[in-house]
Amino acid sequence: MIRNRNRVCGVEEIKAKRRQHERALRKARKEKQLVSKRLPRGLQGDGEDVEIRETSVTQEEIFQLYQRIQRGSDDRLAALCSLRRVLHLKEAQQIFVRFENSIRVLNGLFTSNLASVQLQAAQCLLKLSHSDDPSISLVCLPATPYLLTYLSGQSAKFTELCLYILGNLAAENEAVRSQLLVQGVIQALSVCLQSPHGAVVEATAYLLSQMLQAKEAGEKIILAVLEASLTPRLIRLLDLDSEFGMQTTVECAWCLHYIVSSGVSSECMISQGLISQAVKLLIALGRTVDSGTTDGVELLIYPVARCLGNLIASDEQLWCKRQFHDSDLLQALSVFLRGFLQSRPFVTRECLWLLNNLSAGDRQFCSAILCHNLVPVFLQLIPFSGGINTLVLMLLGNVAELGLEYCEKLQQQTGLFPALCSTLSTADPEAARMTLEVLNLIFSYCQQACARFANQNGILALEMVQYHSNDEVRVRANFLMDRYFADQDV
Amino acid sequence: MRSDEAAGRPAEQAHWAAAGALGCCRWWEETGVSPSRPDPVRPGLVVLEPAVACAEGGGDGAARESELGPSPFTFRSRRIFLQKEDEFFEDGDVHRHLYLQNSITSVGEVERPKVSEFCCQIAGCSQLFDALENYEHHYNTFHRNVCSSCKRSFPSSHLLDIHILEWHDSFFQILAAKQNMYLCLVESCTEKFKAFSDRKKHMIKVHGYPSDFRFDKPKKPKCNQKNQSSHDIEMETSSCQKEANDTSCRTSTESMDYAPAETMEADSPSMSEEKSSIPKVQQRPSFSYKVPTTICFGHGSVRGFKNARKKK
Repeated sequence: MIRNRNRVCGVEEIKAKRRQHERALRKARKEKQLVSKRLPRGLQGDGEDVEIRETSVTQEEIFQLYQRIQRGSDDRLAALCSLRRVLHLKEAQQIFVRFENSIRVLNGLFTSNLASVQLQAAQCLLKLSHSDDPSISLVCLPATPYLLTYLSGQSAKFTELCLYILGNLAAENEAVRSQLLVQGVIQALSVCLQSPHGAVVEATAYLLSQMLQAKEAGEKIILAVLEASLTPRLIRLLDLDSEFGMQTTVECAWCLHYIVSSGVSSECMISQGLISQAVKLLIALGRTVDSGTTDGVELLIYPVARCLGNLIASDEQLWCKRQFHDSDLLQALSVFLRGFLQSRPFVTRECLWLLNNLSAGDRQFCSAILCHNLVPVFLQLIPFSGGINTLVLMLLGNVAELGLEYCEKLQQQTGLFPALCSTLSTADPEAARMTLEVLNLIFSYCQQACARFANQNGILALEMVQYHSNDEVRVRANFLMDRYFADQDV
Repeated sequence: MRSDEAAGRPAEQAHWAAAGALGCCRWWEETGVSPSRPDPVRPGLVVLEPAVACAEGGGDGAARESELGPSPFTFRSRRIFLQKEDEFFEDGDVHRHLYLQNSITSVGEVERPKVSEFCCQIAGCSQLFDALENYEHHYNTFHRNVCSSCKRSFPSSHLLDIHILEWHDSFFQILAAKQNMYLCLVESCTEKFKAFSDRKKHMIKVHGYPSDFRFDKPKKPKCNQKNQSSHDIEMETSSCQKEANDTSCRTSTESMDYAPAETMEADSPSMSEEKSSIPKVQQRPSFSYKVPTTICFGHGSVRGFKNARKKK
């Protein structure tokens, strides 16, 4: 990753780069290759406020530095610092690793008993580990036994560095992860998670998330994590009031999402209190967003929502025995739905999915939806495609499915039928189809809804899809028309 | 441990991508009714026992139902389990990775949700509209009152009725010989006239319509073939392209109705000058499904709308 001096780039350039970056990430994800390495900004300097980035370097310069490092005099530390400053450059990395013995030397320095030297060497390793090029990053591999050993050391900053190096390495490939497993990474992480330093806990959770995100995680890694009892600690960390920052909580949330979404032993997660913790956290986040803070909060909202959504889908029984009030959670979710629609619509979408899981077949939750006047909030989302309107329709279907009382209340909502008329006519045949399903439920339970629908221009809307090019829509539209409006003069 | 989950995902997947992939996985089609047991076809998908066995509730007569056949409706509420690689999670994952790579900037990058469009569903029409009112207007104007004999469409049922009466009713001419059958075209006016020309005079005199009023043309016996060369409507919507080759333009401002065209008419001076500007597409078969609706404006109407303006 080439880092330019951001001051020089204009806003448009930054945006264009980001779009390109995003496209690359999407592509990688489609190919199931989405892994990212991390180089936390705070770790890169010596506490300098602005690190001056060199933009190019010559082989000769690197060689000079290397020689100074090898000599082992007082100058070594200064040389190491200078090396660290250029190692973000790909060419510097390539040059350095090709020198004979350079990696052995670096690893040697990494295990030096001089703390300052160790730290600089670790910084260098971090930069190398961050490279996209495996021929560069994997040179750090011989250091892993030391990295793991140092995890139980005393220096928080050093531990943090080691964790990020390991995290970046873990992102590389399955062989590396296997090696780490064999060398006892999980047990080491268990210790690190107990650290009183937020940065260390964050780095630990990051490393863990890299392991858990892997393709083979379901077979090899998750069980080991469960057996090492890491999850109770992760669950306890899902707390806005924890002494660590939100960033730590975010990493823990991702770890838990990867575990839950693998489908492995959700009963275990639930029994360790993940549901109640997730709900509490979402409620707290709801208050945060409601009070005006939205910046970056979504980073935590959606992984937690994912955990909760999947847990509910895994184990209905335990969900039914829940102890909290639906209304608080509903309130939080409605805040998210509105708050992120115009900036991060995927957050709205994922929350709608969660709402579907919460409300499907659940009388209590659906009653809460009606009582707390959530339907207008849902209806405001109806104009939006990309999955949003179909999810809203599913929610309405969940409510309507429950019978007469629910349908009666639903059909009394002003704006319901106009919204349904609009989704009938959208370009998306799935939305049209779902609309007809919802209408069918409402009409079949609540006769007076037919008249109301007709009075709000519904018959025209229905007629407009009677000739729909999609079979399933057409069949349903005709059925409804014949069944409920056959006597109407169209 | 279900290690086979990730491999061989079934072809039906939730397509929730914000890239606008339409269509959502049809969860409601899974008809497994076992409560809380993982569906064998789709590991991880847990199916709830439906709260309603069949959404046919309500007190409708069973006899009526059997007339209509079995219900085609299939929705069942269900909880949806999503694996970590599911496409539904793509946007969120990308966001996460941008964060990891320190790429989330506060340069005012926001995504806007996609707003759904409206697509005319009449086969062959496929016009797109960005607002429901526009689509409804289009539908009402061009698809609603369609003559089943000659496929012309009319913006009101009144005009359609008159058209059918005057053009397609075999008794009309017979009756017209004995009584006043020509209805005034203005809906609120109940006058009837003996002859076409009388009605025309009435329209001009009483209702102030111009003498070359475009819709008020008598039916000509053999014109049908020519007339049915559909003058495709140039839709003044933001995404009209399809039928842009012909000239007739829709008027949204005119309160006048659309009448069947008489391409052979020579009674209007405006017409003759327009004739040349109309491309010779009159050889089209009369029931072209490429354009299922025809509006024939009479060539006078083209005059004011030569340059099609995009109207919202």
